[in-house]
Amino acid sequence: MMKRWGILPCNGLDKPAGQLAREIALYLAQDQAKTLACPVFLHSAPSVYAKVKEETQWLVLDGCNTRCASKLAAEAGFAVGKKINVSELTEKENLKLGRSLRLEPEALALAKRSALDLAAALFTARTDREEKTAAIPDGKGQTDSGVDFPASITYTEFRQDKFRFRVPQGEFFFNENDCWVWVQGQRARVGVSDYVQQSLSDIIFFSAPELGAEVEQFGVLGSLESSKAVFEVIAPVAGKVVAVNEELEGSPERVNENPYEQGWIAEVELTDWETDRELLLDAGQYLEYLKNKVADFHV
Amino acid sequence: MSETTFMGVTRAKIPWAPVIDYEKCTFCLECDKFCPHKVYEVNREERRLVVAHPEHCVVFCRACSKTCGPDALSFPNKTEVTDLIKRLRKEEGA
Repeated sequence: MMKRWGILPCNGLDKPAGQLAREIALYLAQDQAKTLACPVFLHSAPSVYAKVKEETQWLVLDGCNTRCASKLAAEAGFAVGKKINVSELTEKENLKLGRSLRLEPEALALAKRSALDLAAALFTARTDREEKTAAIPDGKGQTDSGVDFPASITYTEFRQDKFRFRVPQGEFFFNENDCWVWVQGQRARVGVSDYVQQSLSDIIFFSAPELGAEVEQFGVLGSLESSKAVFEVIAPVAGKVVAVNEELEGSPERVNENPYEQGWIAEVELTDWETDRELLLDAGQYLEYLKNKVADFHV
Repeated sequence: MSETTFMGVTRAKIPWAPVIDYEKCTFCLECDKFCPHKVYEVNREERRLVVAHPEHCVVFCRACSKTCGPDALSFPNKTEVTDLIKRLRKEEGA
């Protein structure tokens, strides 16, 4: 049984972007009958939301990069199903909000339009996930993989303080931004290393790269988010995105559990592996690089 | 910080670091609190944040900008920096 959608917005009283986030939330709550969580009330009395939290997946509306709503969702243990950043939305729509805290008609129109788009996206997400869950007997999300990835991996590991860092042995290559690639023919699987998941701690949201998108080497292949930070997945290879790990959309904690196996990020059809390879480290080189890095910086 | 190279290239030769738009910066210091690499320094007298150690910035990392509410941080073009790194690798024989 799929959970219903609820809205957790930025409260946003003192900034125009916050006002817009709030306005979108109001449209969704009033016109689309979505459950609305008051961020101030949630912060001061989280137990009030204890029951609804369990029955709901949340659309988080951040006003700006301070990400108050996202941080609150992480703090409260809300399952985040979708999120948007209103400042990114206005940039995309080329809308200047100005300084007034009263929204202009153009901004109000954007709020209404966005609420309708989001309502449709939430409905589609729900339908898609229900179909997939119904089709897979064990209830796990579908991961459309086109590579014959090793069934078991051997790791070299080391510890620093309470943290354990694994580096997979074999045909894995890494960039110095802690992302790995495993190549088979013209196709490659990409993910992040233990360093990333340890640095972020509990990952609450995965923003997938778009299927079919062309990405350059060191371009962005989606992002991972925790209460601490947003980490852009830096592509170790150039190519076309041909698969994403859809299970992460509902269970981003898979990356914390094992970023090399069930926590992989995406697969790409390679553009020029031989050239990309020149700028990557092999597993042995990455292990040395990682040891130095971990010794220098506390995660 | 012990890293002096990135992809085999002398780090100081790679122009990757944040640029602060002081028109937008509100001196909230979220970026400075977030960055573990000590890229920034705070001038409290002038209430001004400065990029004091650009060579400490992890090449291609833009994570601090994701903490910036007023969107005051920007970074160089990745493709141009990648091309430069490739050129420098050849020159340095990496």
